[in-house]
Amino acid sequence: MITAEQKPIDEIREMIAPYKRILALGCGSCVAECAAGGEKETGMLASALRMALKMDGEEKVVHEKTLDRQCVRDFVIQLDDLIGDYDAVLSLGCGAGVQAVADMFPEIPIIPALNTEFLGETKDQGYWLENCVGCGDCMLFYFGGVCPITRCSKHLLNGPCGGSKDGVCEVNPEVPCAWQTIIDRLSSFNALDRLQMIYPPKDWSKKYGKGPRKIVREDQQK
Amino acid sequence: MSNEQKRTLALFYCQNVPESGEDNRRALEKRYGLSVRLFPIPCSGRLEILHLLRALEEFADAAYVITCPEGACRYFEGNRRARKRVERARSIIESIGLEKERLGIIIGSLKEQKTLAELSGEIMETLAGLAVSPVHEKRLKA
Repeated sequence: MITAEQKPIDEIREMIAPYKRILALGCGSCVAECAAGGEKETGMLASALRMALKMDGEEKVVHEKTLDRQCVRDFVIQLDDLIGDYDAVLSLGCGAGVQAVADMFPEIPIIPALNTEFLGETKDQGYWLENCVGCGDCMLFYFGGVCPITRCSKHLLNGPCGGSKDGVCEVNPEVPCAWQTIIDRLSSFNALDRLQMIYPPKDWSKKYGKGPRKIVREDQQK
Repeated sequence: MSNEQKRTLALFYCQNVPESGEDNRRALEKRYGLSVRLFPIPCSGRLEILHLLRALEEFADAAYVITCPEGACRYFEGNRRARKRVERARSIIESIGLEKERLGIIIGSLKEQKTLAELSGEIMETLAGLAVSPVHEKRLKA
């Protein structure tokens, strides 16, 4: 899932300052899971903004709506009938969602209320952890399901740095040593021999350097 | 009309609070009139931050929640969740310039169990010096 956190409210207020009729638009997917931009959080932000505006004597309208997803056209198109009532949309979607809405309605300013953070998992209630950088060339098989690019602070592909102590990273003591985890995991599979291979430097051209990436599947198209 | 009469408290309370049944609620509503709006909930863990914010936005000068004592929640952790949510709601209202004292939580005591009426009275005393919320000031002046 994509994770995000809400921007400071002062920053949000500054961005919506020029507009009179604002739609706070939530997303029911990833950002709802990480409690940043779901229906509840959209309601909370809209309520806080309305109170702030009342206290400042500002005559603005802030309404709320939440889409199942902001990154899928079939959901975004639901805004067609009502977006004309607003002069700005405050999107609580991730960066993908903000831009998808902006692409569909280019004449309306779409303002991001969140800072999109990382691809990760819900480790525990209220705790999300990055575990994928979307490199486009997944090597998790070779490392027992532990990504050394994401989870090793030094992004090492060929074994530990030797600086870890008691299984904890020397760069960030809050982080378990990814290579300790890789070795433990491969040992449990009797697959330590996978580490005998020397892995060349990551080909980052699969992620960067050619503009936004895309996937096209004709079998999925109309 | 004085500030005290105009000031309104939204009071959410767990139905486990002693003497908090329908009859008790009606009696309190009769006693306090529009100064207190009562919201019984099955467990304080059911309280959402949105409930507190919407209360402050719509009508309340302050919003409080009364929970079961520590360790006595029938759903085990409802009161702990309520405490964390009230804390977060306080930081939200503080970020928009509202005093965080407008939101509060009373965690019941096992040793000295107080009724809803007693706790309501204590909360109203705590809030005695609280001014009408600036969210509602302009509406009241109009």
